[in-house]
Amino acid sequence: MNDVSFHSFRAQAAQAIANAHLQSAIDGATLKFRTERKRVLADLPDVEAMRDHFKAMRAATLAHLTDYLEQFEHNARAAGAQVHWAQDAAEAQQIVIGIARQHGATLAVKSKSMTTEEIELNAALAEAGITSVETDLGEWIVQLAAESPAHIVVPALHKTRQQVAELFSREVGRSLSADDIPLLTSEARRALREKFLAAQIGISGANLGVAETGSIVLVTNEGNGRMVSSVPPVHVAVMGIEKICPTWDDAAVWLELLARSSTGQPLSVYTTALTGPAREGDPDGPRELHIVLYDGGRSRLIGTSYEEVLQCIRCGACLNHCPVYQEAGGHAYGHAYSGPIGAVLVPLLYGLEQYEALPHASSLCGACLEVCPARIDLPRMLLDLRAEEVARGIIPPPEQLIEKSAAWLLGHRRLFNALTDLGRVFQRPLVSKNGLRVPRRFNPAQDRQLPSLAPRSFHDLWQELAAEEALPARAARRWPSRRTSLTLAGISLLPLALLWRLLRHKGGKRR
Amino acid sequence: MSTAREDILNALRGRVRRGEGVPAPWRSRQHFDDLAVRFSTTLTALYGEVIRAASAEEALDRLGDVLRDLGATRVAVNDEPPLSGVDLAARWPEITWHVVGRTEGDLRAFCAGADVGVTGAVAALAETGSIVVNSGPGRSRLVSLLPPMHIALVPVSCLTSDLLTWAAARSGEWPANVTVISGPSKTADIEQTTAIGMHGPKRVIAILYGEAGG
Amino acid sequence: MSPSRRVAIMVTCMVDQVMPEVGVAAVKLLRRAGYSVEFPVEQTCCGQPFFNSGFRDQAAELAKRSVDIFERYDAVVLPGGSCAAMIRKEYPHLLERWPGGVARAEALAARTYELSEFLVHVAGWLPAPAPHAPRVTYHDSCHMNRLLGLGAESRQLLRAAGCEIIEMHESDRCCGFGGLFSVRIPEVSNAMTQEKLRRADATGAEVLVSADPGCLMQMRGFARQTGLRLAHLAVLLEELTR
Repeated sequence: MNDVSFHSFRAQAAQAIANAHLQSAIDGATLKFRTERKRVLADLPDVEAMRDHFKAMRAATLAHLTDYLEQFEHNARAAGAQVHWAQDAAEAQQIVIGIARQHGATLAVKSKSMTTEEIELNAALAEAGITSVETDLGEWIVQLAAESPAHIVVPALHKTRQQVAELFSREVGRSLSADDIPLLTSEARRALREKFLAAQIGISGANLGVAETGSIVLVTNEGNGRMVSSVPPVHVAVMGIEKICPTWDDAAVWLELLARSSTGQPLSVYTTALTGPAREGDPDGPRELHIVLYDGGRSRLIGTSYEEVLQCIRCGACLNHCPVYQEAGGHAYGHAYSGPIGAVLVPLLYGLEQYEALPHASSLCGACLEVCPARIDLPRMLLDLRAEEVARGIIPPPEQLIEKSAAWLLGHRRLFNALTDLGRVFQRPLVSKNGLRVPRRFNPAQDRQLPSLAPRSFHDLWQELAAEEALPARAARRWPSRRTSLTLAGISLLPLALLWRLLRHKGGKRR
Repeated sequence: MSTAREDILNALRGRVRRGEGVPAPWRSRQHFDDLAVRFSTTLTALYGEVIRAASAEEALDRLGDVLRDLGATRVAVNDEPPLSGVDLAARWPEITWHVVGRTEGDLRAFCAGADVGVTGAVAALAETGSIVVNSGPGRSRLVSLLPPMHIALVPVSCLTSDLLTWAAARSGEWPANVTVISGPSKTADIEQTTAIGMHGPKRVIAILYGEAGG
Repeated sequence: MSPSRRVAIMVTCMVDQVMPEVGVAAVKLLRRAGYSVEFPVEQTCCGQPFFNSGFRDQAAELAKRSVDIFERYDAVVLPGGSCAAMIRKEYPHLLERWPGGVARAEALAARTYELSEFLVHVAGWLPAPAPHAPRVTYHDSCHMNRLLGLGAESRQLLRAAGCEIIEMHESDRCCGFGGLFSVRIPEVSNAMTQEKLRRADATGAEVLVSADPGCLMQMRGFARQTGLRLAHLAVLLEELTR
């Protein structure tokens, strides 16, 4: 994962905006998800009340997280699963590698898991001499291309069929046509089927865990979740500690909302509940199930005003509705978690300094909050993170000075009006029909025209307007009058100009 | 020297705010006049297929029809109702059967090379057109996963309204694997174009048999 | 609701300095609705840009200043949903640091209205249909829509004035302004604005109407790329009810 400065976010975003194929793919995919989500949620009676209930349940779970984690662990163990705990990515990697080594595994098959992306598991496995093959088609495409996912739910959103055909052709050693998508799909199925059958270990995430029975639930459309958890003799699941729910009643609500919010399906094709490894007498299934409970900084958020972000169920609805994500694409966020959830979660887990631009990658439109199944107030948290950046001095001093000066000025109406009067004078050579004519190099709005100050402010116009409308009013501009303020401003420029000349002269001398 | 488990739990204990408890369970407010009709319509819309049969016996006849039309020669089958006790080899001798738990040989290899996998169902969900299968003695996970076609014989009596209702009513131990299947596998990862048949079966047929309330 | 028919107008800093005609139109509309309007001259800015940038202390000072200025009035009307939302949603917690601040802010918030909201729900005023009213499309500003739940009022007013409203695709998609977002991440901001204008153009309407000066200012930055007239709700309604 990369640090994300304003510069890097803007540069990546600009690239994404200029990429017509990517824009079209994002538009198409997200529009479909938005439309379908709306349609299928409307099929749920009292869906708004259901969302309120879901939020209350998630909040209550986090408020008693230790109880539910302990209950989950107890019940998972009772069902025969082995439960491991990992505080950070390195620990989690070591646990998985350890299990793989114990079984002499050299090949792992992996179903789609954002948590395993987060801990960069594939790279760690590769270093340990274990090949880990992604089996979700989108993730496999991204893996073959050696890239990172572009979307939480549809990771290969950014790839064209030509690019996919090229990747598959190289992989299978035969030339495959880009225009035959069913063929490409069946080639992928064939190639990955071999891996499933050969792998010694299957790795997955978990969409949720149920404390009541110690079960984990995997949700997929392709069936790769079922494959990795049923074909190889060992199954390892990595799950964030916040993905717990208390009972199966709660899990059912979670599942009713998850796929609907995500892709607009009432349920994904496969919803699999795994409770321990294969039992005595089961004809198949893994003989070992390992569950890795992953913290990765989540526990630090519990008890803070950011705890709410842990209610996320990784449905991706926020991405699908975020116009910033739609324009900038996922890669600009510099992390597997992108879009609105990424903008909040990534700085919280990985450092506000390193990801300073992310809380600003938002116009605060609120669409994310509107569609989040758990009603997570992402806009509030973005604002809190921005305030934190100021408090911690992450915002550079010049910018702080400008903002504080502007705020001070706005608290002094007469002075503010005097300065805008000055602005009206200086802007004259730049004013054109729709705003100011400013060379792009000096324009903070880049291709967008900046507005000009109106020739007369509302304060200037008030007295006439009041007279016209028969309203009692004293003049808004008694003092300083326009003439006075301009004169004063002009006079004040003299010492400033002198100072500037002095500095330049001095600078020259020093050289 | 503390373990990661202790560190994590201690970190959490110091922070959890112990607010309100979990609210009372949300009960389904969904209602369908005819569960079978809703189930059939929904599964069909998901590219699944539904065949109605009046009884378990008729369901087996329909099964035979499908297998014959398909030209299936290798079929894996779970040893569960309504199939357990049926002499499949006698009934359909042209087919090589692997009955889970009874037939000798590598189940996994057989499933990987089979034309069809046949199971029963422990539940069916009308709202989402779903078939629920359990793992257990005689109940293989791979039978409904590896072969390109999955046929499920689903008693109408096990139909319920939706996932919420099913979860609320479900009692007893949870087997190692419970899978809710809602149609054939699919993907849209290549240019958002839907392709039916990814890792799981490409075709799913539910033979819905019997009368409701059984 | 107080029975007095006197309101104060907070024009917003953008209207004051960049588009005062919006304030003029708002005053005229309020007059036509039967209200007397006061303009407290000390007003400058509600503080939102600073709040959105994380400068909470500065925002709090400006918020307190606004409360000091406006709390003596029976009602405060703003021709901008974003600033009205700032007062209603953020002022109460921003004024926590002053004794009695929260109560004062809440009291003001309860008497603060966005213009269309005031005209429809408080004044109970609708314009009469004007001849030759244009075909319009309406942009749902984010804060006004999502924080205040307003949008039906603007449409009601436009229809009453005789305008045919042609809805654009996803009228509630952000225009890209977001305050300083528009200059911090201008590439994305501009892409969002251009998309908004494309969708508005596609409706075939003559006028793109917004009830928020920020959105309007943002969209005007690309006025050269569209044949649409970009007008504030107040300005258009005032023209149609002269």
